[in-house]
Amino acid sequence: MRKPRRIGALSLAAVMGLAACGGGGSTTASAGDTPVPGGTLKIAFWDDAQGCIDPNQVYWIESRSLDRQIADSLTDQDPETGKIVPWLATDWTVSADAKTYTFNLRQGVTFSDGTPLDATAVKTALDGTYALGPKSLLGLTYLAGYKSSTVVDADTVTVDFNTPNAAFLQATSTTTLAILSPKTYQETPEQRCAGKVVGSGAFTLDSYTAAKEAHLTKRKDYAWPSGLVKNQGAAYLDEIEVSYIKEDSVRVGSLTSGAIDIAWPREPISEADQQLVEAAGGSIESRPLPGISYQLVPNVAKGGPLADLKVRQALQKAIDRKTYASTIYWSEYPVVASVFDSTTPHFADQSAALAFDPDGAGRLLDEAGWKLGGDGYRYKDGKKLTLVDPVTVALPGDQLVQDQLKKIGIDLQLKVVTAAQRVEILASGGFDLVLTYLTRADPSVLGSVLDQAVSQQGSAKYSQDAATATKVSELFAKGLQATDPAARGQVYTELQQYLIAQGVSFPVYERVQVAGLSGKVQGFAFTSEAFLRANDIWLAR
Amino acid sequence: MLRYILGRIAQAVGVLWAVFTATFVVLYLLPSNPVALLLAAGDMQADDLSPEQLAALEAQYGLDKPVYVQYLDQLWHLVRLDFGDSISKHVPVSQLLDERLGSTIALGATAILFTLVGGLSVAYLAAWVQWRPAKILLARLPAIGVSFPPFFVGLLLIQVFAFSLGWLPATGTDGWRSLILPAVMMSAPTAAMLAQVLTRSLNDTLGEPYITTARAKGLSRNAVQARHALRNAALPALTLLGLLLGATVTEAVVAETVFTREGVGRLAQEAVLAQDVHVVQAIVLIAATVFVAINLVVDLIYPLLDPRVTHTQRVS
Repeated sequence: MRKPRRIGALSLAAVMGLAACGGGGSTTASAGDTPVPGGTLKIAFWDDAQGCIDPNQVYWIESRSLDRQIADSLTDQDPETGKIVPWLATDWTVSADAKTYTFNLRQGVTFSDGTPLDATAVKTALDGTYALGPKSLLGLTYLAGYKSSTVVDADTVTVDFNTPNAAFLQATSTTTLAILSPKTYQETPEQRCAGKVVGSGAFTLDSYTAAKEAHLTKRKDYAWPSGLVKNQGAAYLDEIEVSYIKEDSVRVGSLTSGAIDIAWPREPISEADQQLVEAAGGSIESRPLPGISYQLVPNVAKGGPLADLKVRQALQKAIDRKTYASTIYWSEYPVVASVFDSTTPHFADQSAALAFDPDGAGRLLDEAGWKLGGDGYRYKDGKKLTLVDPVTVALPGDQLVQDQLKKIGIDLQLKVVTAAQRVEILASGGFDLVLTYLTRADPSVLGSVLDQAVSQQGSAKYSQDAATATKVSELFAKGLQATDPAARGQVYTELQQYLIAQGVSFPVYERVQVAGLSGKVQGFAFTSEAFLRANDIWLAR
Repeated sequence: MLRYILGRIAQAVGVLWAVFTATFVVLYLLPSNPVALLLAAGDMQADDLSPEQLAALEAQYGLDKPVYVQYLDQLWHLVRLDFGDSISKHVPVSQLLDERLGSTIALGATAILFTLVGGLSVAYLAAWVQWRPAKILLARLPAIGVSFPPFFVGLLLIQVFAFSLGWLPATGTDGWRSLILPAVMMSAPTAAMLAQVLTRSLNDTLGEPYITTARAKGLSRNAVQARHALRNAALPALTLLGLLLGATVTEAVVAETVFTREGVGRLAQEAVLAQDVHVVQAIVLIAATVFVAINLVVDLIYPLLDPRVTHTQRVS
């Protein structure tokens, strides 16, 4: 028997606003044993396509897992409750209009170059990240409406926004808004990407070669983790060695043969490979990546079939998400239940609205005038019901959806294009459906791909008609104004219901971060965004 | 002889120019805007830039000029060995090549060595061995080597020699030990092809009357095969070898991906996917140069092995 995986359909909305549970961080079964300091943790990611390590600039989730060890943030987020807790800031106040944030800073914190953390350093970091503009794709949304930061005194900093940004508090817990040493901001963005970054984290970055390797050494004087970390002092591990292995079988083989301690892929480790890992004495850890679930977004502006609400509603019913999860992944793999993954704060379960209903889908298509033809596909005025989805690789999952849609008479065409062509197609609206997803433990993240008021992306520009867009933008704006958790929860619940009912988004599967650990690794923990947190990790001898 | 060499060199330069032009045309015809790629991300697609910012970026990479100006610009830069800047990696292409060319050269050289040693020894043994079962096995060996896809051979080598036996590292770019498995993978099909051709021509040569004469003079079988037959059988194998070595660059793409090695092969793959024009240009030209240079060397060795080659040229 395999050990139970740590996949729980956490209904975070239900527990939001409750007190933080203190201990925090999920740990492996044998974490009760006394940690042994020392040793080098070898971890292999699958790829480093962005080739950048600067926490302020990087969007690549593997790099963000590394950055969490190098750089600290003003706040931290509890993976269990989604609650924001103190870290470099001991406490804070948020104005009722969500436009002004004041942080009191922890004392005695230093960056690894010796510079102390103070209000000026925080101002420099926020100004520096904002100045990156489009070079920091995530920073653009995290700092939406940023006006300025003001040094009140050495330990107090105020951040002002031109427009409400209630999601900013969560943003301060991310690696994107990690506070780096003021000297870092004297380097060019390119140099920072290439590894010239200094933070106040439990580890320092010794070297980084894009797509090849990274080397981290612990800071012996580290003493300021957030309360979510058990180990309040220096890390147990002496070093972390990072490599990138593209081939799944080679990465898993490296783990089972003892060449690495953690195999960290992007696609979940297959069931067969999980058994290999467990047979070799290792274990599997997993956590859904909070944020936008893997979903398809329609183009309603093209005048194609999806301009008709009935066709979109039929499509919503035609996707069999339960079968998708168990076929593409495995039987207990979580079934997507909303436009957000289940670990996103204010996630509200929409399973009922996303239920598989082929008959209902067929009826809706009949009503919309799409009649079944002799070849099993539907036709209207002699035109076939064809939807074009541009992909760079036609994955088994895409083909499964294609097959599911075919059963009710929809011809889904997976148009394989290069990444370069895809960008053009997205910008020009030459698609019917297009995939999107993004990791962030705050529901406002969906605005960056769907809200026409803030995003120029194809997924926002073409997915809604004018009336729908007004309503969607209104809900996103309301979410960014609501500072009270209950009020935020209400807004985002309404938003989730609306997007699914209007067919603005077609969730397909829940994105799960799975990591394979060797038997030596103890005290493993995910952050709230399903990134690595190495403070508590130690290696059994 | 001099005219022969000059002719060949002129031909080589012509080939390189044609390759450059063809790559330029293909990359230019591809329907995409390289600047849009700057904004293309693995996790998200953002095109939140204003038209002015886009125009500024295009100007920075010289993409706003007319096509023929871009063509001449690039050609002029290339003549001076300036490859421009990588669009996706934000550094000069020469720096990327500097970082990655070394490991690919080391890998390629090792693979070529294995190809030569492997191909020659299998062919030599196949012709020399008298015991029938061994002779048949050696003759069939190349067919096996050619028929396995390199990708699969690589994974098999990793499973056996890295994971099961633990003799050699499965991945990485450090030291000679990390070179062996990928080089074996790369040389398996090429050594097999070389062995096939060489075995055939060795067997043909060994049937020639002058071999019988040499034998009759009392030379040992080994001496006859090494000194007389091999040299004469080498011509077709040499031609093939030229082609095989030229293919090393493409094989490096697979080897470097399977074995997670830093190198030009993987750089090429990434650059093509990202449509990083300058990087693709540089790598294609390097590959073409290697190919042309190797074939030039092969052409120059020909007259040494067989003087009739240059002689015939002069007459026609």
